[in-house]
Amino acid sequence: MKHAFLDQYSDLDSPLHRLDPRAKLVGFLALIVVCVTTPPNLYPAFAAYLGLELALVTLSRLPWRHVLKRALVALPFILVVAAFLPFFRKGGGSYNLGPISLSGHGLQVLWNVAAKSTISVLAVILLSSTTPFPDLLRAMEKMRAPRILTAILSFTYRYIFVIVDEMQRMRRARDSRGWRGRWLWEARVIGHMIASLFLRSYERGERVYAAMLARGYQGEVHAFYDYGLGMAEAGFAALAALFPLAARLLAG
Amino acid sequence: MHHRPAVEIRDLHYAYPDGTVALRGVNLLVEEGESVGIVGPNGAGKSTLLLHLNGILTGRGEIRIFGLPVEKKNLQEIRRRVGLVFQDPDDQLFSPTVYDDVAFGPMNMGLSRQEVAAAVDRALREVGLAGLEKRSAYHLSFGQKKRAAIATVLSMNPDLLVLDEPSSNLDPRARREFSELLQGMRITKIVVTHDLPFVFENCERVVVMDGGKVVADGEVFSILSDEEILKAHGLELPYGFYPAPRRG
Repeated sequence: MKHAFLDQYSDLDSPLHRLDPRAKLVGFLALIVVCVTTPPNLYPAFAAYLGLELALVTLSRLPWRHVLKRALVALPFILVVAAFLPFFRKGGGSYNLGPISLSGHGLQVLWNVAAKSTISVLAVILLSSTTPFPDLLRAMEKMRAPRILTAILSFTYRYIFVIVDEMQRMRRARDSRGWRGRWLWEARVIGHMIASLFLRSYERGERVYAAMLARGYQGEVHAFYDYGLGMAEAGFAALAALFPLAARLLAG
Repeated sequence: MHHRPAVEIRDLHYAYPDGTVALRGVNLLVEEGESVGIVGPNGAGKSTLLLHLNGILTGRGEIRIFGLPVEKKNLQEIRRRVGLVFQDPDDQLFSPTVYDDVAFGPMNMGLSRQEVAAAVDRALREVGLAGLEKRSAYHLSFGQKKRAAIATVLSMNPDLLVLDEPSSNLDPRARREFSELLQGMRITKIVVTHDLPFVFENCERVVVMDGGKVVADGEVFSILSDEEILKAHGLELPYGFYPAPRRG
């Protein structure tokens, strides 16, 4: 079974791909922080953030299809907010949509969620699609992120699909024996599957640890870092942090 | 050069923490340059024995690897000299990329950056995977994963290669390639397997284990053509397979 990795397209070549991941990490984080703290009525600021991101997508040569598809992950959250719209407190005028009446206040909340989540998600897509995940982890380590955190992320990146495949095989084996999952008492089976998946993963963890020991592991993972900070990195970090900030101040 | 065996094991006993007794007095001597197959039914203690060869498990008894007793102060040196390859390559390949996995051992040995790069390059070329450095192990075929697993220990320049079930789940072509790869490597080898034809092909000597002990030990043909030994320890040759003495 094949799965699309988190960092699909991170092996392309573009100015954005070549940047030191530390600069991208700082730059995109700054963009997100500026964006989510912007008051929702500063519409030109949001247009500027989006414009910056679209320019970066062009620069990175990522396929638009890929970016748009990944951006859809924000949609469910936006829809949940939309579903609760009729229940928001009144104010800011009201708009009638057939039998439902929406308040201007509610619509502003929806705009707030939609704009900020979309821009933040695009920033994360830009980061993860232009940086190989292992390099991102190294960058985090370089920036003194706790080793336990990066180790967990690294093993997750390596094993998540191994475990997903294992689960899919279990599901096939279950369904091949006529399981339909129609009655409540059949839910027990799901509990057993989760328990058995946990045990298997636990045992795999022990075997992986033995394999690490066998190659001389002594509690420390050594790694070499191939990037360096230069003019391009400084320029990018300034662009990603200062441009949104300036746009926001001008709009306010 | 003075002579010393690659592996010396005397009266090794081991019980797992849950009380299961796995080894009941194992004696084994492997000379440098030998290629030894270890066979036996499931639960015979084969894999437990392997984990003793580099001190992952420590039982009661005496083990020496190239003359060094397996004890804490020698562990780093022993783990460099013994390349242990686990059965499931997904256990062996735990890093985000193939390169990182092959570099893991050399880095733990404290090699410089250039030395690590050279060791990785050499190991990947030896197993025929040059060019796949940046891949995730997840995206390799099973045969490639098995070879990558070998590369992760070859990069440490071991003197003894220990393989747990190297031929399991390989299709015939991958199995053939793997067999040729092993035969091309001129170091001491210990192979644990259920695949008796694989032992015929790759080993001169076979050790039969059962019930936590070595129950037979000798030249491959004489042991594996002895139906009584095979039958007594739950082994059998594949249907239609007739052993012939080794040539040369």
